[in-house]
Amino acid sequence: MDLITLQSTLDNLAFGILFLTMLVYWSSAAFPGLPFLKTAGTTGMAVANLAIATLLGARWLEAGYFPLSNLYESLFFLAWGVTAIHLFAEITTESRLAGVFTAPLAMGITAFAALSLPPEMQNSAPLVPALKSNWLMMHVSVMMLSYATLMVGSVLAIAFLLLTRGQDVSLQGSSYGIGGDRQATESLNLQGFSTVTDAEPTLEMGSVATLAPPTTIDSPTLIPQTLTLAETLDNLSYRIIGLGFPLLTIGIIAGGVWANEAWGSYWSWDPKETWALITWLVFAAYLHARITKGWQGRKPALLAAGGFVVVWVCYLGVNLLGKGLHSYGWFL
Amino acid sequence: MVWRRVIKILTDLRLAIALLLLIALFSISGTVIEQGRSIGFYQTNYPEHPALFGFLTWRVIGLLGLDHVYRTWWFLTLLVLLAASLTACSFTRQLPTLKAARRWRYYEKPETFKKLALSAEVPTTADQLTALFAQRGYKTFTEGEKFYARKGLAGRIGPIVVHISLLLILAGGVVGALTGFLAQESIPNGGVAAVRNILDAGPFAQFQVPKDWQVQVNRFWIDYLPDGNIDQFYSDLSIVDVAGQERDRRTISVNHPLRYQGVTLYQTSWGIAGVQIQLNNSPILQLPMRPLDIEGPGQFWGTWVPLKPDLSEGVSLIARDLQGLVLLYDKSGNPLGPLREGMGMKLGDVTLKIVKVIGSTGLQIKADPGVPLVYLGFGLLMIGVVMSYFSHSQVWALQVGDRCYIGGKTNRAKVMFERELLQVLATLNSQE
Repeated sequence: MDLITLQSTLDNLAFGILFLTMLVYWSSAAFPGLPFLKTAGTTGMAVANLAIATLLGARWLEAGYFPLSNLYESLFFLAWGVTAIHLFAEITTESRLAGVFTAPLAMGITAFAALSLPPEMQNSAPLVPALKSNWLMMHVSVMMLSYATLMVGSVLAIAFLLLTRGQDVSLQGSSYGIGGDRQATESLNLQGFSTVTDAEPTLEMGSVATLAPPTTIDSPTLIPQTLTLAETLDNLSYRIIGLGFPLLTIGIIAGGVWANEAWGSYWSWDPKETWALITWLVFAAYLHARITKGWQGRKPALLAAGGFVVVWVCYLGVNLLGKGLHSYGWFL
Repeated sequence: MVWRRVIKILTDLRLAIALLLLIALFSISGTVIEQGRSIGFYQTNYPEHPALFGFLTWRVIGLLGLDHVYRTWWFLTLLVLLAASLTACSFTRQLPTLKAARRWRYYEKPETFKKLALSAEVPTTADQLTALFAQRGYKTFTEGEKFYARKGLAGRIGPIVVHISLLLILAGGVVGALTGFLAQESIPNGGVAAVRNILDAGPFAQFQVPKDWQVQVNRFWIDYLPDGNIDQFYSDLSIVDVAGQERDRRTISVNHPLRYQGVTLYQTSWGIAGVQIQLNNSPILQLPMRPLDIEGPGQFWGTWVPLKPDLSEGVSLIARDLQGLVLLYDKSGNPLGPLREGMGMKLGDVTLKIVKVIGSTGLQIKADPGVPLVYLGFGLLMIGVVMSYFSHSQVWALQVGDRCYIGGKTNRAKVMFERELLQVLATLNSQE
């Protein structure tokens, strides 16, 4: 089978698998008692991740350069990043919750690339001279990874906002270390869930995500008070944004250093780099909001949710303007 | 007293967040409204009737400086305020937190453990805990019945490094704006030029502008791809002093500049400077070519060659690249056909021969003494943001009889830390 046929099979396959994976994660959230659904979800994400990696690898072989030459390839790289960050989050936290939100995100991106882009935009295009540099490829791929990471983090923040509608919540995790104190009403709650989750019946799927409260401890006098579903989601979102932020910083710096070496200017207020700075500022504000006294509860997550829109504008919106240093025709 | 109040306002995190978001907001305006165009441009695109969004006219843009947002006094004021807030926060908030994190204490009473969400009572000894936590990358301390373990102290230092490096970058930007300059020169193949066409220079930039040397273009050429697109362009440059002595020589191309005495020469563009022709058996004549103002894509250069002594007849020569092909047009604009370098065409009783198309290299010449500071800031910033990802985790334990009170907390990775501590507790309970 030649590489072209392989590619068109793989992109539809990736979309199909992600669509099924999304349904699996949703069913898993609705019926937390079915253990095979959990394995199926992770497997689906892993297979989709590999399918996209193979697709990009085949393009790399065919074209002879890193496959980020047009919107189609860049969207698939983004979808690969989303699935990779999802797997990272799932493995490190052993929580199956993220998939409920990341699977539709990855599915949406692949659907856009595979189904709605016209075929002539799917063909790999020759690289413009400005992109023929390993440094620049590093800049572009780190930026794409940071977009993927920040999108996953923001989507989880949106999920957190949906789950905690009209509630008072305490944040978990910041550079100062808020949270971690035992809540007074809680000390003898054997379930290990705080009042927040108990109050909201729709949060029954909490048992999917939170770690099982340890029942093995023989003394009931002092048992650990574990995080609630909402708190887990909040901390997961915070940690993933915390990972995307350094990636974004390094990506912007790589671009600046490269531009200075090539054109003699590390910063030129070009629309794309200005939007990357705006993204950086919004997420910096989010990280600072978490340590601000008057800003506890749901407010920082609102900033992160706004960050989701800002990342998309930075990624696609700026190219719609079609001017500046970064108008490589990724879009038009 | 006033000073203390200023510090209090500056260290208020709500001010920091407001500044970050305001800078973001004003930056957006600069990506929506075109920057640095002529007044005429804004008058055409932002008329007074009808005003865009009911208020955005060219007068408003001019008044607020929205045509050069990133250089307006109010945008720069925001940056200065941010720098002040960064400095104030580093000293009054971050350093004390770091000190507090380094100065830890053992928990001496069982009641203290009840304050921690993640705390339990398990059958174990302080020695066993040392082994378990050391295995998980913790630094452990014991004193009799008391136990303490920590990891990820880097996560407390990271934010301080980030703040310092941001101050370095801002300072580097200021140094560059005050002492740097930017010039552009278009030099024909074989020509020599001094750095004169300065587009932008800081108030203290004069000492940077080279006065005792010039740039000589030994050769300029373009490599084309088989499909006719440009692959890369090259300039073989020499730095020559006033006496014409060569001091340095290098071939530059896009992404590969020449650096000399703090000044960097970049290959940025190219053009066609002129064309050498021969009429019948005349000596070789060189005519300058000028870029043509055309609609649509591509760029063309043109010149006009008289064919009669009274200039009543002539042909136009049009070239679009340095591949040696020139297009000829007559007085009324009808094409006469293409002509290659070295070939001739008979026009009436005159034979016009194209000897050579001469290219010119477009150089950007720049000095920015702030770059070392900015690069130092970039390096530290990358280290700082990576350090800031680490979570500072602390675990305390107190042995009472054959059982231990154990508890812990972390500042960032709550979910991971909870899992880690529950695993430790499960291990300890299963050993019983």
